[in-house]
Amino acid sequence: MTTNFEQFKEKLLMYGADVRKWPKDIRLSGLKTLDRFPELQKLVADEERFEGVLKTRKYEEPSRDLADRIVAAALPKKKKAQRKLGMFFSEVLREFSLSRRAFAAVSVSLIFSLIIGFTIGFSNPSGNASAEQYQTSLEDFLNYEGDVL
Amino acid sequence: MNLDEKLLHLDDESLICQIQKGSHEAFGTLVDRHSNRFYRIAYRLVFSKDDAEDIVQEAFLKLWDRPNLWDPGKRAKFTTWFYRVVINLCLDLRKKKKLINLPEDIEFPDENPGPDVLFDVHQKQAVLERFIHELPERQQLAVNLCFYEGLSNNEAAQIIGVKVKALQSLVMRAKTTLKHNVKQYLGGGSR
Repeated sequence: MTTNFEQFKEKLLMYGADVRKWPKDIRLSGLKTLDRFPELQKLVADEERFEGVLKTRKYEEPSRDLADRIVAAALPKKKKAQRKLGMFFSEVLREFSLSRRAFAAVSVSLIFSLIIGFTIGFSNPSGNASAEQYQTSLEDFLNYEGDVL
Repeated sequence: MNLDEKLLHLDDESLICQIQKGSHEAFGTLVDRHSNRFYRIAYRLVFSKDDAEDIVQEAFLKLWDRPNLWDPGKRAKFTTWFYRVVINLCLDLRKKKKLINLPEDIEFPDENPGPDVLFDVHQKQAVLERFIHELPERQQLAVNLCFYEGLSNNEAAQIIGVKVKALQSLVMRAKTTLKHNVKQYLGGGSR
């Protein structure tokens, strides 16, 4: 496939001044056309100058921590989305976690408290009283003939 | 080989699959790999570092929140699809702001710029930026994607949503207009 003068001008606009970087399928024909028409050299040089101007366009580099900021911003979002009841309790437990010694001390003191509590509870004499003793008979109450003020 | 190293060897599409399973590490790898590239196109379209960074962050967070938006079944490359996401956010911002405000030092000279102005780098940049912003929207996209980003015509056409022939026409018209305006300006002509 050969490229004529006009086609070359179009391709020059489309693919740029560096003919060696044109797509493979038209590169060779482009280079041949350039050899065939010396006047195209001027067009190529003109295009190079124009591209040089385009490349002077202002550009500001992004902040160095842009990627880190994005990744950090994503993290709390996901945590919030995945929060479940189980996770909530495990987070609370983690918040109040104790060292092994402190945990043992708390456990022993709780066991002692329980033993003392049960001992006091079972030694209370009122605990033996039958529930029937506390029942109030409506009839007895109505027929009460004691002192009346 | 630890997890991070393994992720570095994965392609974008595999990373998205990992993100769809909730992998924050995969998300980090993808952001590291592409944040600068998408910042570049955003900056070219909104002409503000802060806005461009915000847009890139917003786009990635959308991906993190709803990774299933990218559908591997459609066989679109991740970058092609994500360029569209970023570009749409940029165009939305431009519509909101009506017109992207060029910085104060970027003012187009009124008439017949003198030699001092011609040799001022900032002024040249300003003029060039103004010329590009004056192009129709799709021509701007075509120039930014093909010339500044160096994408293939095929990929740029997919991103803009046109056929390759149409994309080529957009590039040619944009460059012809720009060339005409630049020549006129550098030749000392007034607009």
